[in-house]
Amino acid sequence: MSATSTTTPQPLALTAARPARKRMQTIMRFLRANPLVVIGLVIVLAWIVISLLAPLLAPYGPLQQRVVNRLKPPSAVNWFGTDQLGRDIFSRVLYGGRISLPAGLLVVLGAGVIGVLLGALAGMIGGWFDEIVMRVTEVFMAFPTIILAMAVAAALGPSLFNAVLAMVVVWWPTYARMMRGLVLSVKSELYVEAARVVGVPPWRILWRTVLPNCMAPLVVLGTIDLGSAILVFAGLSFLGLGSDPATPEWGRMVSDGVQFFDQWWVAAFPGLAICTLVIAFNFIGDGIRDALDPRLRKGL
Amino acid sequence: MSILRYILRRMLLTIPLLLGITLIAFAISHAVPADPVAANLSQSAMSDPTIVAAFRAEWGLDRPVHEQYLTYMGNLLQGNLGRSIKSRRPVLDDLRQYLPATIELATAATLVGTSIGLLFGIISAVRRNSLLDFGVRTLSLVGVSLPVFWLALIALQVLYARLGWFPGPGRLEVGMEPPPRLTGLLTVDSLAAGDWNALRSAVSHLMLPSLVLGSFTAGLVTRVTRSALLEVLGLEYIRTAYAKGLVERVVILRHALRNALIPVITVIGFSYGNLLAGTVLTETIFAWPGIGWYAYRASTSLDFPAIMGVSMLIALIFIITNLIVDILYFVLDPRLRVA
Amino acid sequence: MKQRLSQILGLLAATALFLAACGGTPTASPTAAPAAPTTAAPTSAAAAPTAAPAATAAAPAATAAPAPATGAADSKTLVIGMAEDSASLDPARAYETTPGIVNRVAYQTLVTFPDNSVETIIPMLAEKWEISSDGKTYTFTLNANARFSDGSPVTAEDVVFSLNRTKNIKGNPSFLAANFASVEAENATTVVLTLTEPDAATLSKLIFPAFSIVNKKLVTANGGTDAADADTTDKAEQWLNANSAGSGPYKLEKWERGVETVLVANPGFWGKAPAIERVIIRNLPEAAAQKTALEAGDIDLALGLGADQIGGLQTNPNISLFEGLRETVVFLIFNNDPAIGGQLADAKVQRAIRLALDYEGMQALGGGKTVIPPSMMPLGFPGAWPAEKAPTRNVEEAKKLLAEANASSLTVDLDYPDTTLVGINFGTFAQKVQADLAEVGITVNLKPAALQPALEKYRSGQQPFGLWLWNPDFIDATDRLAFLPEGKVGGTRANWKNSNSSADIQQLRDEAKAVTTDEQRNAVWDKIQAYMETNSPYAALVQPSLQIAHSSALKGYVYHPAWEVDVSLISK
Repeated sequence: MSATSTTTPQPLALTAARPARKRMQTIMRFLRANPLVVIGLVIVLAWIVISLLAPLLAPYGPLQQRVVNRLKPPSAVNWFGTDQLGRDIFSRVLYGGRISLPAGLLVVLGAGVIGVLLGALAGMIGGWFDEIVMRVTEVFMAFPTIILAMAVAAALGPSLFNAVLAMVVVWWPTYARMMRGLVLSVKSELYVEAARVVGVPPWRILWRTVLPNCMAPLVVLGTIDLGSAILVFAGLSFLGLGSDPATPEWGRMVSDGVQFFDQWWVAAFPGLAICTLVIAFNFIGDGIRDALDPRLRKGL
Repeated sequence: MSILRYILRRMLLTIPLLLGITLIAFAISHAVPADPVAANLSQSAMSDPTIVAAFRAEWGLDRPVHEQYLTYMGNLLQGNLGRSIKSRRPVLDDLRQYLPATIELATAATLVGTSIGLLFGIISAVRRNSLLDFGVRTLSLVGVSLPVFWLALIALQVLYARLGWFPGPGRLEVGMEPPPRLTGLLTVDSLAAGDWNALRSAVSHLMLPSLVLGSFTAGLVTRVTRSALLEVLGLEYIRTAYAKGLVERVVILRHALRNALIPVITVIGFSYGNLLAGTVLTETIFAWPGIGWYAYRASTSLDFPAIMGVSMLIALIFIITNLIVDILYFVLDPRLRVA
Repeated sequence: MKQRLSQILGLLAATALFLAACGGTPTASPTAAPAAPTTAAPTSAAAAPTAAPAATAAAPAATAAPAPATGAADSKTLVIGMAEDSASLDPARAYETTPGIVNRVAYQTLVTFPDNSVETIIPMLAEKWEISSDGKTYTFTLNANARFSDGSPVTAEDVVFSLNRTKNIKGNPSFLAANFASVEAENATTVVLTLTEPDAATLSKLIFPAFSIVNKKLVTANGGTDAADADTTDKAEQWLNANSAGSGPYKLEKWERGVETVLVANPGFWGKAPAIERVIIRNLPEAAAQKTALEAGDIDLALGLGADQIGGLQTNPNISLFEGLRETVVFLIFNNDPAIGGQLADAKVQRAIRLALDYEGMQALGGGKTVIPPSMMPLGFPGAWPAEKAPTRNVEEAKKLLAEANASSLTVDLDYPDTTLVGINFGTFAQKVQADLAEVGITVNLKPAALQPALEKYRSGQQPFGLWLWNPDFIDATDRLAFLPEGKVGGTRANWKNSNSSADIQQLRDEAKAVTTDEQRNAVWDKIQAYMETNSPYAALVQPSLQIAHSSALKGYVYHPAWEVDVSLISK
């Protein structure tokens, strides 16, 4: 993802209107050829279900402390052991998806909306505006995310909002650059030319014609991005920039474990949870990338 | 466009980039509602107005923000990054001291990651669609998915504390005299001084952190090498080479790999920037006195000059790496020169 | 990740960064500034190392080997593992724990404490001193044998320079010199210190490393000055960060920030030469890593262990463990200004919260030898209640009080520093408070911040509800005047003023200032503690344990509340 190379993937054929049955067949064939995607989908679905049903599945409350029972190793009672306040780590890990999944989603959505808007405008208007937007994206892409986030944390105090905000700030340029590329390639298509000639106002062209044609690759990029968004978010929460310290956030739970070398289970299990979810997203993303655009396989 | 003109244009473009970065860094560090006076003076010292006034005047905190920015930029143009509030030294001195440790670590991690990645990538491409290929591809995806801070912690807990296979935190054994400082890179300096004990110690201390940090690079390089090789292997001239009866090893290494290297170089450049971010999360765990550790300390004490200095430095490294990648790209791929 | 910033305890004036100024707190008798021993800590310390005879055989073997052994394996080298917190090693600017350990042996002060107690003040560079009857003039006679590491004698000129420099640099410790009117040299060995007002804590303050006597010639040659504008004109700091200019048993060889600080024995030391030739203070930020390094033999002495890290060390024959009790009190503080504290300013709510806390659980969290202090005065403190009076939980009573105060469903923000100090992880305790108060219907939102920004809010009295700790400035009941109305903590941080406190407590406070005998003191502080049990803006949580572990080969380690460890007493 070099700062200057602009990838301009083609609009995807997948969205073209086709009989539902045929599309279903294509998907099935794709899944059969890509077992990793299936594994990834199963894990992600499992985490979504676990997050939704956490109150039913967890043997204990995620905040329920039993100090006399602190730092106990994994056992039949506490499958993943207990932490420094005697909370059940298994229950906390189950609840952890309730934070990480929405946080990752929010970052991708926030960055996506801002990026798409600016990228589309840059592509449509072109000229100096395009130049400025592109230069600004370069500045933000070069700025070290973590330091920005740490400064925000030190100053404003940790909160979910601040963490997501800090990430959106450095995340949007990827979308802006991609959107701009897409708009530029769509702009030259015959039907857009036609619309312009007929006298349709530019914003209408953007909204009605250009955007729908760019949606598919954006959604794909977003899905692929979810894994890394969750990973970076975990890093921020590890540094103490997540929500309320008591909330079962995987990154923060790992940072609790920094104090306890002898009690390996404090850090190990929440870390594994992050791994499984991120790996699952990467399995899915990798499969989709392979199937859709051979040129995308190279970079990104 | 000639290479020289291209490089010159790219370098000129980095100037507005850097300007933008100073602006962001300055805006963030001054938009915060916290007061560096409180962050850096003791309670008792704070209750003495003359001490507080002396502190404010010393750091220019008593002047309006835009004036502070202009002062800062003026100093910056003269190569003066200001003085760190926490260390009370010029930020440039601080950066000069801590940067080599990080460069050494990031470079070692890149080397480790790239070697593993190339090897795995080639194996995977040559034995494509085999069980081995499947295993390597899965592993590479795992490599890019592991949280580096967690991996660092687990590696220390298991490989150092429990098994004792690797030395513990730090760059050298405790009490070992580092070689005379030339570059600040302990491996290079100890080689230059012929100090084999220091070299051995420095290399062994580098291994664990660079394995941890290199895991991401390894995964990335594996995947890119594989796909680039596969693409090249399908091309006409490779098939010709095979037809000529050349041994597979020769075809792969001499013909295919060379042409597959371009995308590999791109991701190495990209992952170098990623590594620098990773050092912020791991340097404290490994007690590694680099800029990641420095950045963490600066942020928690609201040391504005240090935060700005370190942000710009990391951004600058990021920009330079990209520049090098683009130039390499330009040199290696003749097709780009036409465009 | 978390930094232990400071753990100096004891008598000395305002050691820890976040403590209040030690103003002129008049004590009863001007000569006996500090009274009473601290808790059992220092004395049992001496016993610990001798008890473990194992692993001493290694020492002679090491000398036989010709290879230049480095690190902890060498019997002439001491390696200490701790979280380095030095911002500066310049005695006039340094204020943290690590510089305290370094400067304790690189420099000397006029007077000092005995090696293992804080009960009396004994000569160091000054062989004797006189205090004028009005308590404002101190005359010190220097030991004529004292020599700096460059061989030059320690003169009155050097003392004048050092004291004035510390005052005029306006750095972190300069407040200690705020009441110095003048420092003058009468002759080569006589120095007269004149104060603006009598201050019984003066000798105690002079023990602080900020009043290290530096070699004037050397420091001046490297840019130092003691002029009134030294805050802008003194340029000696960088030099003093790399060299020392003192008369102590060690010299600073180098300080590599974030890595290690190295001291070497001063060959020309005018006192008894230390046994260890080289001292390395290695930066190991994480307590868990310190423990592993100690077990692996990489370090000899771990200064930052929490109670959670000592598991397994008790049974390790190669390691001696010293467990004691700190004088620190970890406490909750409420803001008595209703505009800031809201319903927390209500004495009934404050009392309800004291009753709602699970003290036994807190003690278990602290681990080790942690105890529950009977009041805001730590156990063992002169005038403090005995352990039996420690508070206990009463959820029903707490709920009743909250109902009376119309605060049955209260939501509050709890501010605290996101760090670990003296082995206490604030985040862990804050979460415990959150869970305990949830049981009486109070919703607590945790508001951690990096230490420095959190301190700012605390010191300016802007926190409605905070979790902090207090290390005594000096071991005397009057230290606790700080917590009473208009005190350093009470007045500014809890906004407990004369205007919003009862005449009773104000009268008790004034009585406490005037007591002269132990009986009087105990009587008045008994009343104060009883008053504060039902009516005060604090809740004392725990008094943390202290755990220091070192290799059994190490001899002579003594924990000292003022400077943590004096490395010149150690051998191995």
